[in-house]
Amino acid sequence: MPGGPDKARSTRRGRRLAFWVELARGVRGSLGRFLAIMGIVALGCGFFAGLQASGADMRLAADRYYDETRLWDLRVISTLGLDVADLERLAEVDGVEDVMPSRSVDAMARLGDEQLAVRISSIRTGSAESSRQLGSGSVESDDDSYLNRLLLRSGRWPEGPDECVVCSDAPVKAGEGQKVDVLYGGKGFADLFEARRLEVVGTVSSPDHPYTGSLGSTKLGSGSIEQLVFVGEEAFKDASPYSEAYLTVRGAREELSESDAYFDVVGRVKAALEGKASVLERERQEDLRAKAQSELDEKWAEYEEQHGETYGKLAEAKAELDDAEKSISSGRASLDAGQAEYEEGLSTYLDQKADAERQLADAQGQIDEQRDLLDQKEAALVAAESEWREGYDALSSALAPQGMGGSALELLAALDDRLAQLASAREQLEALKAQRSQIEEAASQREALVGGIAQARSAVERLEEAKEFLQEGFTPQMQEQLDQARAQLEQLEQSLAGLDASVAYLPELEAGIATIESQLPSEQELEALAAARESAAKLVDSESRLVEGRRQLEDGRARLDAGQAELDQKKRDANESLASAKDKLDAAARELASSRQRLDDARARYEEGLAEYRSGKDEADRRFFDARRQLEDAQEKIDSIELPDFYVLDRGQSEGAATYSADSKRIDSIANVFPLFFFLVAALVSLTTMTRMVEDERMQIGSYKALGYGKAQIALRYLLYAGLAAGTGAVLGIALLSQLLPHIIMSSYSIIYALPPLGFPLPVESRSALLAGGLGVGVTLLATWAAVISSLRETPASLLLPRAPKPGKRILLERMGPLWARVSFSWKVTLRNLFRYKRRLLMTVIGISGCAALLLVGLGLHDSIWDIIDRQFGPIVHYDTTVGLSASADELDVSSVVDFLESTGEVEDLCRVQETNMQATGPGEGSSATDTTRVSVVVPRASAELRSLVSFRERLGGARVDFTDDSVLVSEKLATLCGVGVGDQVTVYEQDEVGNAVGEGLRLTVTGVVENYVGNYVYVGRGAWWRARQEVPAFSTILANCTKDPEARSQIARELHGWHEVSTVLFSEETIDTYRSMLSAVNAVVVVLVVSAAALAFIVLYNLTNINIGERVREIASLKVLGFTRREVYAYIFREIWILSLLGDVLGMFLGAWLENFVVTTAEVDYVMFGREIHPQSFAVAFALTLLFTGLVLLAMRHKLDGVDMVESLKSVE
Amino acid sequence: MAFIEFRDVCKTYRMGDVEVRAVDGMSFSIERGELVVIVGPSGAGKTTVLNMLGGMDSCSSGTIELDGQLVSGMGERELTQYRRHDIGFVFQFYNLVQNLTALENVELASQICRDPLPAARVLEQVGLAGRADNFPSQLSGGEQQRVAIARALAKNPKLLLCDEPTGALDFRTGKQVLKLLQDSCRVDGRTVAIVTHNLAFTGIADRVIRVREGRAQSIETNECPVDALTVEW
Repeated sequence: MPGGPDKARSTRRGRRLAFWVELARGVRGSLGRFLAIMGIVALGCGFFAGLQASGADMRLAADRYYDETRLWDLRVISTLGLDVADLERLAEVDGVEDVMPSRSVDAMARLGDEQLAVRISSIRTGSAESSRQLGSGSVESDDDSYLNRLLLRSGRWPEGPDECVVCSDAPVKAGEGQKVDVLYGGKGFADLFEARRLEVVGTVSSPDHPYTGSLGSTKLGSGSIEQLVFVGEEAFKDASPYSEAYLTVRGAREELSESDAYFDVVGRVKAALEGKASVLERERQEDLRAKAQSELDEKWAEYEEQHGETYGKLAEAKAELDDAEKSISSGRASLDAGQAEYEEGLSTYLDQKADAERQLADAQGQIDEQRDLLDQKEAALVAAESEWREGYDALSSALAPQGMGGSALELLAALDDRLAQLASAREQLEALKAQRSQIEEAASQREALVGGIAQARSAVERLEEAKEFLQEGFTPQMQEQLDQARAQLEQLEQSLAGLDASVAYLPELEAGIATIESQLPSEQELEALAAARESAAKLVDSESRLVEGRRQLEDGRARLDAGQAELDQKKRDANESLASAKDKLDAAARELASSRQRLDDARARYEEGLAEYRSGKDEADRRFFDARRQLEDAQEKIDSIELPDFYVLDRGQSEGAATYSADSKRIDSIANVFPLFFFLVAALVSLTTMTRMVEDERMQIGSYKALGYGKAQIALRYLLYAGLAAGTGAVLGIALLSQLLPHIIMSSYSIIYALPPLGFPLPVESRSALLAGGLGVGVTLLATWAAVISSLRETPASLLLPRAPKPGKRILLERMGPLWARVSFSWKVTLRNLFRYKRRLLMTVIGISGCAALLLVGLGLHDSIWDIIDRQFGPIVHYDTTVGLSASADELDVSSVVDFLESTGEVEDLCRVQETNMQATGPGEGSSATDTTRVSVVVPRASAELRSLVSFRERLGGARVDFTDDSVLVSEKLATLCGVGVGDQVTVYEQDEVGNAVGEGLRLTVTGVVENYVGNYVYVGRGAWWRARQEVPAFSTILANCTKDPEARSQIARELHGWHEVSTVLFSEETIDTYRSMLSAVNAVVVVLVVSAAALAFIVLYNLTNINIGERVREIASLKVLGFTRREVYAYIFREIWILSLLGDVLGMFLGAWLENFVVTTAEVDYVMFGREIHPQSFAVAFALTLLFTGLVLLAMRHKLDGVDMVESLKSVE
Repeated sequence: MAFIEFRDVCKTYRMGDVEVRAVDGMSFSIERGELVVIVGPSGAGKTTVLNMLGGMDSCSSGTIELDGQLVSGMGERELTQYRRHDIGFVFQFYNLVQNLTALENVELASQICRDPLPAARVLEQVGLAGRADNFPSQLSGGEQQRVAIARALAKNPKLLLCDEPTGALDFRTGKQVLKLLQDSCRVDGRTVAIVTHNLAFTGIADRVIRVREGRAQSIETNECPVDALTVEW
């Protein structure tokens, strides 16, 4: 052959060319297929690379921003401040590049209607002034140690101590011309800053505060910094120490901020600083002490000097006074002696006088006594005499009728005679009377005598009769008796005769008695006589005694008169001598008084001088005592200057940078999950597509094989085809989405991060781009290889035959006879088809479920994020106003604020609580104060009041959770973070200035977990608090509902600001607005997701339909020939797709719910809990949208069905 | 008037710039109940005739009538109805739905038309009662074609159109299929048109239309057609 090798080469070239041409034609001929692979790979790779790049780009944006604003790498905070010497020591540490000191202090400030906590920091106005701002995130300055360079967003830099710039990114906006009233600050504020009004002259962005959601925490106000105020150095008090130092580390700027390499570089220096911290701390302490000591020593010297001078003068004055005092004292002594003498004389005089008077009085007393005695005697005598006279007169007058008269003696004699006569007459009478009584007695016995006689006589008679009768029988005895009886009778007769004689004499006797009795005086007369005799005798006797008494009386009187005369003489003599002594004494007294007057004058003058001296001395004492005490206090203070604590913080501990970095890492973790689908779907799409392609070109493969092409070459054709599609897709997808996605994500985040986003073109990170492209292309090639390999194994002959159509198969459903019988043939074919092409089923279901899931994630994210606000404010938290009082407020202050709020009539549902920012940990093994979560601990005064302002309920099921005085409720997010549930213990710690947990912590047993979205709360009943803390809370925060009327509201705010104790006034409406604007970023993400979901759905469905139709052209044509209407043909083909879509859609709901939950929990920050539920309407919308996409694809595919020519049915099977 | 009338039917296709006249003034008529064989070499236009007769394609000019209906004037919708109710089609490659059993394939057709014949009976008629529940892949070619015929017959069409019905079959089974078609004409009085290039079939037809270069070259009637089973080719 002529020019053989050449020819061969050209042939090979030609063949190769033909091959390529054929490939190109193949692509052109099956553009749909090509585009499907390209599209899905583009989507997969783009998403992967884009999301991977997003996190990296965010970090890069941060790194550039930080580098170009020279953000600190390390921050050193000293609890006792820093001074130049400390800075020098810091600068000496190996690896430290530049050091910039700064003063900063937290203060409460009034800005417009609001009163809030701000952080005032000093800036280097000079360096700021001369800095050049390049773009939105870069500042150049000649001052290398000008760190954290602020970006002036509007206005100008502050010029005087009363001007400031504020952060333009803070949620509370402020602009030029506005005033910031700095009111007061926490401990140590007054040492640093003077409360006053500052004027805002500009707004800035601070690279140190990229996270605008939180500018830092403070012990003031609501606990968070709401605005940053930057002032010049001169705005701080002179000589106040620096509060912190910002450091850059050599070589750190070359590393990506917060990358491992960065932390390696910075970590070394940090470790060195921390290692040196104790030295630095001691040196700081010594410096402080030394400086203070030298100042104090000076003051001591001054004190001593003044002390000496003042007390010298005082001593002189004292000496003078002492002299005066001495002379006064001697005068006083002589005066006292004279006085004593005088007083002695006076007392002698008085004694003498008293003696004389007593003696005279005694004598007089005796005389008077005697006279009294005499007078008594005389009076008795006179009485006796008059008595005697009365007696005598009575007697004599009584006796006068009887003729008796004369003296008493004579009367006595006459009376005695008379009495003797009367006595003899009485004796005579008595004798007569006795006689008479004898006779009368005898006469009384006469009867008896007569009776006796009669008896005796009868006795005699009987005896005589007895004698006569007996005669002889009459015995001598009887005779005797007779004799006695006769004698007795005789005697008795005699006695009777005698008695009768005496009775005869009786009248004579009676006469005699009567005579005598008439002569005798009566008994009374007789007694009168006897009495008269007696008194006469007494009178005689007393008469003599009276005469004697009168005589004695006369004698006594005479003696007494003589004694009185003598006494009177003595009295006169005594008075004379006493009067002369008195005169002498009085003269002495006058002399004494005048000398005393002189002395008193002198004393008064002295006292005056002394008082003057004393007051002078007292004052000096006080003054020097105070001074001394002050100095001693100062000394004590110096001695008690503790070792300060040096904190060395890196960017990982800076809230803004750390939050941003964490957010970028969250994107990373999302980036690792999301694109999985796309790759999975890409694999399936490629597999089905390429399988179909290989099937389609069976004959061609056979021909190639027959023509002698090798397996590899044939496979190469398909691999190239797929590779080309995938490669183009990957390049396009990566190129487009790795710009678009990071851009969208960064601009979404730019709402909460004041970080200038990277400009286009964004750097494409080769690693993730290659990975994405490799994965995309690799997956496609793998799928293609799998599709091709089975066909290539066949012999060319069998390849040239049409492949037997995939046999129909009975499906499980058919075993259910009655059910299957009811299914129409077209449904039967649909159902059988579904299970016939499992690969397609898988691809479609996964693809559609991916689409539905993406939609659901998008909408669900939207729900979750907006739920934060919509659920938190309204359904859970019902109060919209927080009024905080400062720590110094007492009960009276709080209640007066409460009264004021109530009196406005615009505020209701007031609830007093104690709200404290603390840190919490769970019961886990940690339970130390290291891994903590910031929480608000709320203790209400009355649990019922709080219950009406906050709905305590569980998120799932919405069951109400009891809140009583003994309850401890934790918000759900906190419960998750700390891993606590009901019955577990949560420990809350106080926090120090830097935000570290301190102290022992309070252990509280959780009684309930409640739904909450913004912030972390521990609600503690006062009873539970008391048990844990043994301390009555101050309840100095008031939660309430205020009117919505903005004017009334700002009126109330203004009035509240008038109270010194009111520290915070917050209306949550503003907070909500801020949140809302922050969250609008989410909408962009939702759009991205919806668009990618739509793209996914279109690619998958288009591909599926395409294959379906392509594969069944003959069947479709036959059906058409059979007379199927268009609609019936659509239904016949599309029903399958609808079912797959529905299946995928339903699956997608589950997948989406899971994915959404993953994204939400991954993207969540500690401070908020996203809504956990996807709204039913989101499910509905995602579901419907997926079906809509299906419908749209199918609508587009209709014309393809219409285009199937019936003639196809007549064609031979190739 | 004949059952089917083809009058001066022309069909031109545009292929890019080239205009191809597939049918060029074709005229013929077919009586009710006849078995017609349209025969001609490849490219003679017989398939186009079949398409137009079957309502799958419309003519460029001329008129086509079937049982008094003017098929050539029908719109797409009417053509669909025409195919649905009036035409039964038997394809060379059977075109059974692989996913339906024999019976279901028959039902597929019978379910959509107005006055269908019971599917099972038709299947019995074609001698496949025992394979009713088999899928096409489980049937032999002849059996498949018989299912296809049953499918066409079940619609109870006015015209049974067959496109090379034995083309994919071996000789024996082909004859059986032909026999079946002949019987459906003879026994049921159905009008059957078979399009083929096989001249051997002309023997069984009542009428033979020879097509060449887009025209009906000759139309001859066969007074005594032979039984299909006797045909040899």
